[in-house]
Amino acid sequence: MKVEVNAVDSYDLESAVINTVKITEDIQSAIDILDNNCRVIPVAYEGKNLILPTDKIYYIESVDKRTYVYSKEGCYEAKYRLYELEELLNNYFLRTSKAMIVNIRKIRSVKAEVNGRLTAELLNGERVIIARSYVKDLKERLGI
Amino acid sequence: MTKLKILFNQTLMVSTAVLFGVGVQTFLRFLLQGEADFTWPWYTPFSIVLTGFLCALPTMLILNGEADSKKKGIIRTLVHFVLVGGVVSFCGYLFGWYDNLADYLPILIMYILIYMFVWFYTLWLLKSDEKKINEAIKRFTDEE
Repeated sequence: MKVEVNAVDSYDLESAVINTVKITEDIQSAIDILDNNCRVIPVAYEGKNLILPTDKIYYIESVDKRTYVYSKEGCYEAKYRLYELEELLNNYFLRTSKAMIVNIRKIRSVKAEVNGRLTAELLNGERVIIARSYVKDLKERLGI
Repeated sequence: MTKLKILFNQTLMVSTAVLFGVGVQTFLRFLLQGEADFTWPWYTPFSIVLTGFLCALPTMLILNGEADSKKKGIIRTLVHFVLVGGVVSFCGYLFGWYDNLADYLPILIMYILIYMFVWFYTLWLLKSDEKKINEAIKRFTDEE
């Protein structure tokens, strides 16, 4: 891939544009590094400490002050609180309710409900609710 | 702040809808009975705004929260419909918008039509949003 770097006078003018046919793992790494976001988070599974790549995460849920991370492979427990993970993770992770963060990249489709909230169907077939107050944020992140 | 915004928007919307209803009625009277002049008691414009405000209260209290099931959502909508209808009827009686059943019927029909219009328009907006989000989300969704 051709890489072009131009010097600018201020930090406000710093930006990166990647023209790509497909977002591969390498491209995603570059995006994450440029976004200054973590690519992995420490989790626990059956007493073992593991490192889970963030692109494997479907959604994160807080239940009884415990934080659970769901991937295609299973459910893990994270040490972080939900608001801490919200700060750590990149822009693909959207707060969808007081107790849940969803990876936008794992949403297959959404269905609008009359009360203004959305039901999102994930790639694994699970359905999660996007509360009305977070729909605006989703639309902004999708550039609508 | 959000609740105040809802209250303000709803007051404006209902006031406009009532004004529209009055407009249709006076237009029909002009067409059918040739009544070119229309007079209002001094308090009628205030009564319209007050009715708008009172109709906004059930909306803020009932429809603002999230229904956790479709059935509850339908029940809440029905309760809202009856309550707002009650407010319109009571205010209409109090401010002398109608004197008898023959005068009340057009108000009731107008209320039902406006309620249905607002409902279907809201549904159309929601479905339009759903379509936009689903189109935008395709660009982000991972391939699995």
